[in-house]
Amino acid sequence: MQKRPRYGLYAIVALSVLISFFPIVWLILTSFKNTAGIYAWPPQYWPDPFTFENYVSIFTNSPELLRYILNSFIVGVGATAVTLLLGGMAAYALSRLGLRFAGVLMVAILAVSMFPPVSLLPSLFQNFLNFGLLNTYTGLVLAHAGLFLPFTVWMLASYFATLPVEIEEAARMDGMGFLRIFLTIVLPLSWPGFVATGLIVFIFSWNEFPLALVLMTQNAMRTAPVGISLYPGEYAFPWETISTATVLAIIPVLVITAIFQKQIVGGLTAGAGK
Amino acid sequence: MNRTMNLEQRTALTGIGFVTPTVIVIALILIYPIIQSVVLSFGQSSIDGSEPYRFVGLRHYATLMGDGRFWNALAVTFTFTALSIPLELALGIGLALLMNESFRGKGLARLAVLFPWALPTALNALIWRWMYNSDYGLFNAVALQSGLADRPINFLGDTSLAMASMVVVAVWKTSSFMALIILAGLQSIPRDLFEAGRMDGMTKWQEFTQITLPLLKGPILVALIIRSMDALRTFELPFNLTDGGPVNATESLSLYAYKAIFDFLDFNFGAAVVVVQFLVIFAMSLIYVFALRNKD
Repeated sequence: MQKRPRYGLYAIVALSVLISFFPIVWLILTSFKNTAGIYAWPPQYWPDPFTFENYVSIFTNSPELLRYILNSFIVGVGATAVTLLLGGMAAYALSRLGLRFAGVLMVAILAVSMFPPVSLLPSLFQNFLNFGLLNTYTGLVLAHAGLFLPFTVWMLASYFATLPVEIEEAARMDGMGFLRIFLTIVLPLSWPGFVATGLIVFIFSWNEFPLALVLMTQNAMRTAPVGISLYPGEYAFPWETISTATVLAIIPVLVITAIFQKQIVGGLTAGAGK
Repeated sequence: MNRTMNLEQRTALTGIGFVTPTVIVIALILIYPIIQSVVLSFGQSSIDGSEPYRFVGLRHYATLMGDGRFWNALAVTFTFTALSIPLELALGIGLALLMNESFRGKGLARLAVLFPWALPTALNALIWRWMYNSDYGLFNAVALQSGLADRPINFLGDTSLAMASMVVVAVWKTSSFMALIILAGLQSIPRDLFEAGRMDGMTKWQEFTQITLPLLKGPILVALIIRSMDALRTFELPFNLTDGGPVNATESLSLYAYKAIFDFLDFNFGAAVVVVQFLVIFAMSLIYVFALRNKD
């Protein structure tokens, strides 16, 4: 239709992008400043000198910050795997096997997903202490699985609802058991749904704070958000280290979001649309 | 006949088998802890079990009702929610309308807008705390150098500014999430509705208020629910931005509950705080679940 250039639109888009992005840009710029540059007044809008010394120093002086990131990976991957396996089976049963209580269970799952995580802390801390699960990957993976299973079940159930039932019915005619149908037919057919859900759960787990804070009390077991937040506790806030560690800790989620933007957006809006 | 019965029974059994692991994990991690918190809140005990549980009735709740800091935390939580959600909604609708237009570089723009959502809130809070810093922060540099302010603004240390500063971070992070959900609704509105409107000589504004908004009611409700539940539970944002300060001006209910348990080490009183918090949020969530069920 009209070909008039829309400067107004582009101006608003540019402004939105700028507002969304400048804190991250400022963080990255800060990580390339030396200590004098970070505490300079007026602040340096561009690092002078531009230096990699903070990154080098993390690898040589603060390896615990790298350990936090490794912990986040282990917990994130574990929580995603457990959640997809259990949640996938539950979602399949609730959306496909005609259980009489399926509707009630779905609403109940939605309701418990709104529980405030801090309400779980006194009990979880005590039970994890008694069962030796504090400061273990198993413990936090289990806690994150509980936290994110409701979301997973809802998302995958809505995904299964879009698949045709005929193939499964044919397989059942051939005498295949449900577990085999689930593993050999449903899983391969619905991998886009699993990928989207898994990515979102991984991001959720990577970002989760209250449970990771309380259930991992040893410094070496902390996840990235918690470890970086508590890092300054020992002396004055070392922004040069903090900003650099933060950059390293957000790179994984930024990369995942950038590569799988479509799947994540699709998953979030499908999950929310139910 | 016998065969179909068997099949039905087998289906039901398999279904139960498939659902059970999820139900067990949810029961262990989400449901049992709430029940245990209720029990703990009516008694006196120690975290490691060295002091046996002793029933004390409503003592902790009585303390709580007379505790000014608890009422403050409740007020902070509701103020934070009431301030941030309408702003997020307005910006979310604006961003969604923007992303619904076609222009070059749309994919990149959408990605940039999505980034704040993907970052850990705890680290977002740290990034902003650094920009708000009254000695070295970016905002004060810009304000002072441009002449907007003649002395440093203490964004996080001033009781009247700290809440606003915290709301800005929340709005920055989550407006994009609102936008995504509203955008999905926007894209499902049939194009011919707008064409019909244009035939009737509707202005852009009339189109928006009479066609777009009414059809977006569902997605907007969902976005509001998800976001306000999050805002009512907010924890790591004040934890990392202000630690609840200054003088508890940003101490949310979650942060207060955490401090009661792990800073004051008053385990049973802390349990009473989380039970009350749970009841407040659960009441809201029930209202929402029913609102959703009656949506269609």
